[in-house]
Amino acid sequence: MPKTPPPSEIIRAGLWNENPLLRHTLGICSTLAVTNLLVNTLVMNLGLVFTMAMSCFTVSLLRQFTPDRLRMMVQTLVISTYVIIFDIAIKAHLPEVSEALGPYVGLIITNCIVMGRCEAFARSNPPLPALLDGLAAGGGFSLVLFAIAVVRELAGFGSLFGFRLLPDSFTPWTIMIMAPGAFFTLAVLVWIVRARSAESGTAKPGGRIA
Amino acid sequence: MTPISPTTLFFAAIFTNNILLTNFLGLCPFVSLSKNPRSAAGLGAAVVLVMACTTVLNHLVYRHLLLPLHLEHFQYIVFIVMIAAFVQLVEMVVDRFFPVLYQTLGIFLPLITVNCAIFGASLFMVIREYTLMQAAAYGAGSGIGWLLAITMVGAIRDRVEKSGVLPKGLEGPGITLIITGILSLACIAFSGMIPVQ
Amino acid sequence: MTKKPFWRQSGYGVGFMFGLTLLCAGLVTVVQESRRERIELNRRMKLETVVLRALGLRIPSAADAGVVHQLFENEVTSLEIEGRTVYSAGDADGLVAAGYAFGVSGPGFWGPVSAMVGVDRDLSRITSIEFYRHNETPGLGARITEPWFGQQFAGLALDRSSAGKYFTLTPPAPGKKAPELDAVTGATMTSKAVEAFVNRDLDFLETLRKHLKTAR
Repeated sequence: MPKTPPPSEIIRAGLWNENPLLRHTLGICSTLAVTNLLVNTLVMNLGLVFTMAMSCFTVSLLRQFTPDRLRMMVQTLVISTYVIIFDIAIKAHLPEVSEALGPYVGLIITNCIVMGRCEAFARSNPPLPALLDGLAAGGGFSLVLFAIAVVRELAGFGSLFGFRLLPDSFTPWTIMIMAPGAFFTLAVLVWIVRARSAESGTAKPGGRIA
Repeated sequence: MTPISPTTLFFAAIFTNNILLTNFLGLCPFVSLSKNPRSAAGLGAAVVLVMACTTVLNHLVYRHLLLPLHLEHFQYIVFIVMIAAFVQLVEMVVDRFFPVLYQTLGIFLPLITVNCAIFGASLFMVIREYTLMQAAAYGAGSGIGWLLAITMVGAIRDRVEKSGVLPKGLEGPGITLIITGILSLACIAFSGMIPVQ
Repeated sequence: MTKKPFWRQSGYGVGFMFGLTLLCAGLVTVVQESRRERIELNRRMKLETVVLRALGLRIPSAADAGVVHQLFENEVTSLEIEGRTVYSAGDADGLVAAGYAFGVSGPGFWGPVSAMVGVDRDLSRITSIEFYRHNETPGLGARITEPWFGQQFAGLALDRSSAGKYFTLTPPAPGKKAPELDAVTGATMTSKAVEAFVNRDLDFLETLRKHLKTAR
């Protein structure tokens, strides 16, 4: 069993060095679709970080009792439980956002990153580092989505968090609201990060598969 | 007004409302696997089979079990468990009776459980209140649409990367996303032709 | 013969999954039960707000669910007519009300869309329309919930003289007149869908008219 890395290492890896979105382009499915409004993105990110941290924690708690061939089922079950809890919570307390997010909250279950982190880290590390790892990876993921949402809402609506920032003479780029806008924004972001890493020589080959 | 016919829905799910290109679903294995057109096609075939069957199964479970018992809030767990169980079953059947097929398809099957597109198709079917026939058409259509998208991107990516003209940092995920974006644009242009609802 | 450790035995795996499933299901049920009332309350408040607005009744700003419910109870009477609920304002038996409201719904572009239509007392004009449930794209189709879109319906005469429709949605242009209303730019499909199902469901007015005639 590999040694558990120190907390600072875990945080740095989650936020930047091993950032799931930028380095591995994993887990875009369920989350990219809601990045055209900042408010929706924020709530979605909250759900993702919550699910990820709690699932990693639970999977790690159960790691010694889980039979090996059942671990996928166990992880799925744990993750979906937390997603449902989050879904009920926002239905009760943020009904407007819950309606806007629609099925995408449920789709956190199949987000490859959550299961990827459970499989890669939580399965073989104690609960507290696993919790931290979930928080860090979820946080790193959220930062990227947040950046995408800023670009998309600003260009697509001329506003941020619903407050109009650009003058009325600005013609909103409708394309940024629709699917291609998300693909292009993420592509440019990945491009910039990868190009910079290549220059400074810190690029690591992405070997993780979820 | 008559509800949309399953045939129309089938084609809408393939072309105008492609689950990958307009709903972003099923991107995870997409980016890593579209490198190789052959494995892309293998995975795609498995997705078509699983998506068509699980959408129908989940429709039956939702309508006849969860709704009458007022357990709608359990739908996520039930759907994902149904999908996981179905994938396991298919894997066993294929392994036992079609060993040749298992060689090509087998390694992709476990990956499918966490394919967002399959789960997403089940969720959309509930939200759009499809009937059983519509759900079957939507599931099959979405699967084929996904297969189409992943093979197309796989082939384009293959050509582009071999040409060696890509700037530094754009190879791999970057260019895949841009190709997907352009295909998604094409998809949107047709979106007025057949409605999905 | 060495005995397998207990977690290698197949019975253990089944038992483990069973226990975990029970635990998860229990947890979800507890959370759901603890929030059930609140979710119900949200749903009721949303419907009541929409009905009140469609009937043209003012809701005080910053009113909570209790205030809205009180107002609804005091002002609104519900009638069941051929499987549809009609809400009426200003009269206890709902026959000579100040206005009526009823729900219309149909398929949008991405999913079902619902709206509440308010009409005046002799069912000759629309007083307001409130779109309240949809899955359309924010910034495009979702703009049907913006005030300007609903407001153009206010005062619309309820006759089908133009091509058998109560109204049509066409791209914004100068000099357009009443049954032609502005569609949402960039959301042609949503606009078309809204035009289709609202026109269809407005036919319910005939049923309502007949019912009121016999009842009055």
